[in-house]
Amino acid sequence: MGRFVIRRLLGVVVLMFIVSAATFAVFFLGPKFVGADVARNFCGRVCNEQSLVEVKAKLGLDKPIYDQYGAYVKGIFVGRTFGSGETARDCPVPCLGYSFKTDLPVWNQMTDRLPVTFSLAIGAGLIWLVSGVAVGILSALRRGTLFDRAAMSVALAGVSLPVYFTGLVALSVFSYKFKWFVNVHYSGFTDNPAEWAKNLVLPWICLAFLYAATYARLTRANMLETMGEDYIRTARAKGLPEKVVIRKHGFRAALTPIVTIFGLDLGGLLGGAILTESVFGFPGVGKLAVDAIGQQDLPVILGVTLFAGFFIVMANLIVDVLYAYVDPRVRYS
Amino acid sequence: MTAPLDVEPSALSADPDAVTNAESSKAVEGRSLKQIAWMRLKRDKVALGGAVVIVLLILIAVFAPLIVKALGHPPNDFHEDLLDPTLLTPKHKYGGINGSYLLGVEPVNGRDIFSRIVYGARISLLTAFLATVLSVTIGTVLGITAGFFGGWVDGLISRTMDILLAFPLLVFAISIGTVIQTANGAVLGLSGTSLSVATLIFIIGFFNWPYIGRIVRGQTLSLREKEFVDAARSLGASNGHIIFKQLLPNLAAPVLVYSTLIIPSNILFEAALSFLGVGVRRPTPSWGSMLSDAVATYSIDPIFMIVPGVALLITVMAFNLLGDGLRDALDPRAGR
Amino acid sequence: MSRNKLVKAGSVAAVLALGAAACGGSSSGSKPTSTGVKATYNAAIGGVVNKSTKVGGTINYVASSDFDSLDPARTYYAYSWDYQRIYQRTLMMFKPVAGKDGASVTGDLATGAGALSDGGKTVTYTLRDGITFETGAAIKSADIKYALERSFAQDVINGGPGATYLSPILVGGKTYKGPYKGGDLASIDATDPKKIVFHLTKAFADFDYLMALPISTPVPKASDTGRNGGANYQFHVVSSGPYKIATYQPGKVLNLVRNTAWKKDSDPNRLALPDKINLIEGLDSADEDQRVLAGSADMEIEGTGVQQDAQSKILTNPTNKVNADNPSTGFTRYISIQQTVAPLDNVHCRRAVQYAADKVALQFSRGGPIAGGDVATQLTPPNLSSYKKIDPYPSGSDNKGDLAKAKDELKQCGKPSGFTTKIATSNKGKGPKTAEALQQGLKRVGINAQIVAVDPSTYYSGVIGLPSNVKKQGLGLAVAGWGPDFPTPYGFFESIVDGRAIKKDGGNSNYAELNDPAINSLIDQAGSETDASKRNDLWAQVDQKVMDAAVILPFVADKALTYRGPRLTNVYINQAFGIYDFVNIGVTS
Repeated sequence: MGRFVIRRLLGVVVLMFIVSAATFAVFFLGPKFVGADVARNFCGRVCNEQSLVEVKAKLGLDKPIYDQYGAYVKGIFVGRTFGSGETARDCPVPCLGYSFKTDLPVWNQMTDRLPVTFSLAIGAGLIWLVSGVAVGILSALRRGTLFDRAAMSVALAGVSLPVYFTGLVALSVFSYKFKWFVNVHYSGFTDNPAEWAKNLVLPWICLAFLYAATYARLTRANMLETMGEDYIRTARAKGLPEKVVIRKHGFRAALTPIVTIFGLDLGGLLGGAILTESVFGFPGVGKLAVDAIGQQDLPVILGVTLFAGFFIVMANLIVDVLYAYVDPRVRYS
Repeated sequence: MTAPLDVEPSALSADPDAVTNAESSKAVEGRSLKQIAWMRLKRDKVALGGAVVIVLLILIAVFAPLIVKALGHPPNDFHEDLLDPTLLTPKHKYGGINGSYLLGVEPVNGRDIFSRIVYGARISLLTAFLATVLSVTIGTVLGITAGFFGGWVDGLISRTMDILLAFPLLVFAISIGTVIQTANGAVLGLSGTSLSVATLIFIIGFFNWPYIGRIVRGQTLSLREKEFVDAARSLGASNGHIIFKQLLPNLAAPVLVYSTLIIPSNILFEAALSFLGVGVRRPTPSWGSMLSDAVATYSIDPIFMIVPGVALLITVMAFNLLGDGLRDALDPRAGR
Repeated sequence: MSRNKLVKAGSVAAVLALGAAACGGSSSGSKPTSTGVKATYNAAIGGVVNKSTKVGGTINYVASSDFDSLDPARTYYAYSWDYQRIYQRTLMMFKPVAGKDGASVTGDLATGAGALSDGGKTVTYTLRDGITFETGAAIKSADIKYALERSFAQDVINGGPGATYLSPILVGGKTYKGPYKGGDLASIDATDPKKIVFHLTKAFADFDYLMALPISTPVPKASDTGRNGGANYQFHVVSSGPYKIATYQPGKVLNLVRNTAWKKDSDPNRLALPDKINLIEGLDSADEDQRVLAGSADMEIEGTGVQQDAQSKILTNPTNKVNADNPSTGFTRYISIQQTVAPLDNVHCRRAVQYAADKVALQFSRGGPIAGGDVATQLTPPNLSSYKKIDPYPSGSDNKGDLAKAKDELKQCGKPSGFTTKIATSNKGKGPKTAEALQQGLKRVGINAQIVAVDPSTYYSGVIGLPSNVKKQGLGLAVAGWGPDFPTPYGFFESIVDGRAIKKDGGNSNYAELNDPAINSLIDQAGSETDASKRNDLWAQVDQKVMDAAVILPFVADKALTYRGPRLTNVYINQAFGIYDFVNIGVTS
């Protein structure tokens, strides 16, 4: 088990290397490929050849790509120093560099935005997990009833609705029409927990709706499949009450895959709920990514990509490890 | 392009082995899986409804110019006279919906929303279909290769899939989209709208192949060990024969179901990228960019937001319904 | 200055007595005085709304994004220039008054305008008594000299206007690299701590205006070293005005509190009324509007105008409307028609574009008559002193274009069935809609244009501001807008139509590369003309000649619908910036 985790962790590191290298390549080779010069974006209005050279030097864009990548990776593990002489700046571990645009450390910019994305992702995650699974189980147990059909129709609509549409609809109905949630904006949890929750209600629901629908459908299908298995029949034959059969034997097998998917979805979301943040104008990691991409602010893009990739692979790892406990059939070699 | 329904029977016409392999052959004797599936599908009114909507959408996309000529106005023509000059929203109620402008007019420029929705269907379906074809092709080829040959080939392909699945897809897609948009010249001989559409297809298609690749690999792994493959091998069949004549026909069903189910997610992906401003180029209509434009005015002119949203909803739902139906029809365990 | 939404540096907006802006019925527009007026629609244009001297309270401002930089040597946004005046002092400053006087300058750290000698090639400023940094240290001329020198150091602190303006004007400026590498610049003499003397390469009439830009904000050299210096100085700026920075979290908040070291009698221009000035940054635009209308915030500081939802709430509700203004921002929105891109090298093809454009569609794309502005027929904005109405390319009675004339010009150009070209635009804000409006108008005469949309951060620097790129990519048409860095006709025209100001290396603002000897010489004549009315005549001729060349298709004289919180006092539009003046705003409660 321990060896398995270590091996997987090494895999994570290798993966992060590849993800970062690919992002690096896209942003260094991409503009070259289409004939643009990244440094020009940060050269100001009064950019001439000389200042362009200076800006390039400041951003480190004058060095060959492998040097830049090497320095970047080194920064993450041992930190690095930017500039020289009187204006030199130390960038401590884990150094993701400074934003080309704002000169702020990328690490701080991301950690600043994390609470927003975490608030959004974890709240929405809880809502969709609970509601999706509950509806899915009920539907499965009352298969063919009106409830089942209604729930599955809503769920089908749910998986077919993009969050940038439900978000706008929710805002126009609940914020503009009924004024239940006026002026939805992110407000910090530590400032005022009530305000925090109130402002997050609509984003949570919109984001959760999409996933809850998927989960409901999945739970229902899994439950139905499980309840048809031989061991359930055996349990019933033993004379166990139906409730016990469902609870002890049905849930466990049916919900294990849901846990897996939940881990992966949440991991993906923590890397930035880009669309939700864009629609509601929340200053989270996803919005940071979109803004940085528009401005070709490479260090920030790299930072966010690595960060998002990190959550995805970590979620994978955690799910795999948890699996060993949940499902005794899984063996690690 | 024909409706997936037309494709479906021929894709499964396959090979008698498909039947010998299918577990369901025990249940319904004498009928091929194709026939069973078709029978089941015919009974599934909801899925058929989805199929009908899809056929209609395809017809709309194909005949967009004729439809717009008959019922709308050119999609890029401005009609400022229909707008309130101070607020720039439609003068008339309900977003300016009337007999001449069936779905109202766009704020700021007064373009005919109906025409733009009709033309938007083209972009939506085209990118989604082609991206699906791309990812299904790559996914199937590499999935079979990995599953069939195993060893280091499998290792390499599987790790590649792991890496791609760990990519923050949307971030990456926006990144590539932005870089390509900055390219205002020609790239690989493409420019303008065709370049942006090609980029979209590539991004969506390329990053989705591991999903199908994994499924195909898994199926191949289990099929490889089946008796009919052993039998073919012992008769001296070549790898090529086994892959094309034995494995591929048996993979057709899951691949078909999966394709139908990733088309709607691809439609949403295209819309999301257009919503974020890295989709198709203006003024080419796209449902995603219409929604993005609607953000500025939805509180005072909700129609412009609702119409493209509902168009997306209907389309995506239709594909989901058909996909569900197909899965139920082709999955021998379903419906018992 | 040309960045449409973000950058609005120093828009000239001397609203004339009977200018278009007075159409809201403001009775105070006729006098450029600072008399107080009641809150009515457009009252802050030319008048001071809620004039008061009440001290105390907290102002709550909001902004959608962070300032481009708090470093005075780097900032280039108009609202940022305006905002820094709250807590920073410069050698000269734009007068904090309503009406057209606001576009003129007065001494801030200096006692008054620079004294000229040596035929205008030496400019001397005397500093006031009692001027101090927030540390209590006296501000010496060396601190201003150091600040100006810093603005040359583009390798450390890039982006500001200092190097562009100062390097050709100051002796030795062309080769100077800034204080970090290049030592000091001898042509700025600060031997006397109370006097700062500039040695210029030639007389420069607008030098006082230049010294009103943030680049002359004093910077103590001791604070510009190590961890808190250079590129990091923006996070540790030392204030010289009545307020100082209490908290600065970039992109989130900037809170100002009173600077106790500031002495009232050293500063005749600032009232310093509120105790605290808070700014929340990084808000969504719709969120800002809702907060301001609800009263939880007092004002949006960027001055680009409210969103459509708020616009309808303001214009349809009389209670809200009295707190709104619809000022001219001093910008002209135009399409640059590049004569370096065939077939637009032919004047008739350019004129065809002028006639074919649908100006109503273009105006709507900017937001219509209120949020966008009035349809423009010439480059000069109506509130510039040299404005003389001309309409060289009448676009029909409905302003939707004169297609017959356009087709005729196409024939003369040898392209009777039209041609194809590209429209460049930034991909944010109103740019894409403007490009679509232009595209649609031109299509009517067979001119097929493809839209090329790029991020605003690259648009001016590397896409249309780089002549070689314009040619390479064939960007025949470009969506642009212009307001000057300082409010004189020279400041308006020089960068965009003077052929000698074309910057081949990038950062070019004369996108069409217009280089007409007749226009260049008119600009020189106007520069040396002392008589104001003759000078204005010369600038009007420049306008006419530029329009004749048809390289610029103006379509809107820019306006914005802005909202001032009802509890704010001393609110007026400063004509130098085209937005509210933050220097003397207070609160009633």
